[in-house]
Amino acid sequence: MELKSLGDSALLISFGEVTDDEVNAIVHAVARAIEEKDFEWLVDVVPAYSSLAVIFDPLKVTFEEVKKAVEPLLGVSAGAFKGRKIEIPVLYGGEYGPDIEFVAEYNGLSVEDVIEIHSGKTYRVHFLGFLPGFAYLSPVDERIAAPRLEKPRLKVPAGSVGIAGRQTGIYPLESPGGWRLIGRTPLRLFDPSREPPTLLQPGDEVKFVPISEEEFVELHQGEWGTEV
Amino acid sequence: MIELLSVPSLLTVQDGGREGYRKLGVPVSGFMDDFSAKIANYLVGNPGDAPLLEFLLAGPKIMFNASVVFAVAGDVDVRLNGIPIEPWTSYWAKRGDILEIGTLKSGIYGYIAFAGGIKCEKLLGSCSVYPRAGLGRPLKAGDKLDLGYAILTGREGRFLPPKLRPDYSSGEVEIRVLLGPDLEHFTENGIGTFLESTYTITPESDRMGYRLDGPAVEHSEKGPDIVTSPLVPGSVQVPGNGKPIVMMRDAQTTGGYAKIAAVIAADLPVLAQSRPGTGVRFREVTPEEAREILKRRDKTLEAIREFLDGKLRAYSVRALGKEFLLFAGKA
Repeated sequence: MELKSLGDSALLISFGEVTDDEVNAIVHAVARAIEEKDFEWLVDVVPAYSSLAVIFDPLKVTFEEVKKAVEPLLGVSAGAFKGRKIEIPVLYGGEYGPDIEFVAEYNGLSVEDVIEIHSGKTYRVHFLGFLPGFAYLSPVDERIAAPRLEKPRLKVPAGSVGIAGRQTGIYPLESPGGWRLIGRTPLRLFDPSREPPTLLQPGDEVKFVPISEEEFVELHQGEWGTEV
Repeated sequence: MIELLSVPSLLTVQDGGREGYRKLGVPVSGFMDDFSAKIANYLVGNPGDAPLLEFLLAGPKIMFNASVVFAVAGDVDVRLNGIPIEPWTSYWAKRGDILEIGTLKSGIYGYIAFAGGIKCEKLLGSCSVYPRAGLGRPLKAGDKLDLGYAILTGREGRFLPPKLRPDYSSGEVEIRVLLGPDLEHFTENGIGTFLESTYTITPESDRMGYRLDGPAVEHSEKGPDIVTSPLVPGSVQVPGNGKPIVMMRDAQTTGGYAKIAAVIAADLPVLAQSRPGTGVRFREVTPEEAREILKRRDKTLEAIREFLDGKLRAYSVRALGKEFLLFAGKA
């Protein structure tokens, strides 16, 4: 574990460069422990896969003082994840998942296999980043891993579900992107008028559920997901 | 209320920014140049972080539908009802008055503050516009904006002398940085290149990040990619082509390229105000120096606020062949 400076207003706590569930659980436990302390200099805590940033007000505290304050909290036990279980309905393939055939062919599988493997596992939300509400999930099965597009799309529609390497994720907003798109969810993942504004939160358990085009259209009212 | 008659360029409402939502992937946003923006607010008697208008290069034409005190911060020609007035000065506009703002002669972001601030629906605790996520949108001609109620705080005739204004006219800027956190992804040579070369700001620069051109920074055998980790406005990422990208106020909250350094908070506005084509040199400072610089800047801002409130006088003093500014209480 390392403590480093991330500019003059942040401390980066790094637990190595890994993407596994156990280390990520520690990251969230430490993030919670720091937030609960409610330090008067604390501005924000930003967890990622295996690191987190502690953003502080440099006019109120020094880097060394922040280091001293968080050091005793680094040993907290990760305990069990307390995330919610969320089901994400996905319409796989066709115009909604234009790269699913590539992912199948690349791995010597059928499209049905890709859907079965992708929706057959429960994923953990490791953190949100890149875009508001964009969830970085625990890795997909090696059998459906696929390289990024050589030339990213300029516009990926909101709700698109993609694969990049062993990563999978959902684009919460229309944006450019280079992931291989395998499907789309009708759920709305980011809504600034809600509190919290994101459907998914770090620690949540996500399961993708294949749906038909009829179900997609029926649900496609910008609906917010429900806890199950 | 004010009405926008013409909007020649990017015009957004910004405030001190959006904190507390980074863990959900929501950028901080807020003033690109918080030094100028805060002074604009002080000129009209607002708290520094009050919502105001930020324009890119060219300012809008505005009609006042109510009487209010306003001020424009930036190196720019300003007219009220066709008559030239001063930037960095507060004026009282009457109902029906028309404010015209020209193109910045130096710097790249200008600010228009109104006593009481711009009234806006706060989204996730802030009025700062971040259009990608539906957090507000850039303004266009015909838009009407409500202003906060501030009949007692607005005072006309507050004036910031040229010597106290930030100067963004230099041809090359020195930007101070703290090195790290991903230094093991760079060779010693690469770090040397970064600190010893002059980089140029490219036109592919916006509120999210400033892309630089110049000598490529060499990565170590660990390469340019890291396991995605948090970043902050000011973080300098170096992707595979070795050209640094400085993250700005609308930066994403996490990133997957190795970070060689971070621009100190006091110098981020200076970089923000540098136009494409400007030369940038990075200089390493220690965390202690960075904190001293920020404290000094905060003191200067506070003194400027008190000066504008009429509580302090400002003096220009020559000593050791250099010019210094001094603030002192009124006798």
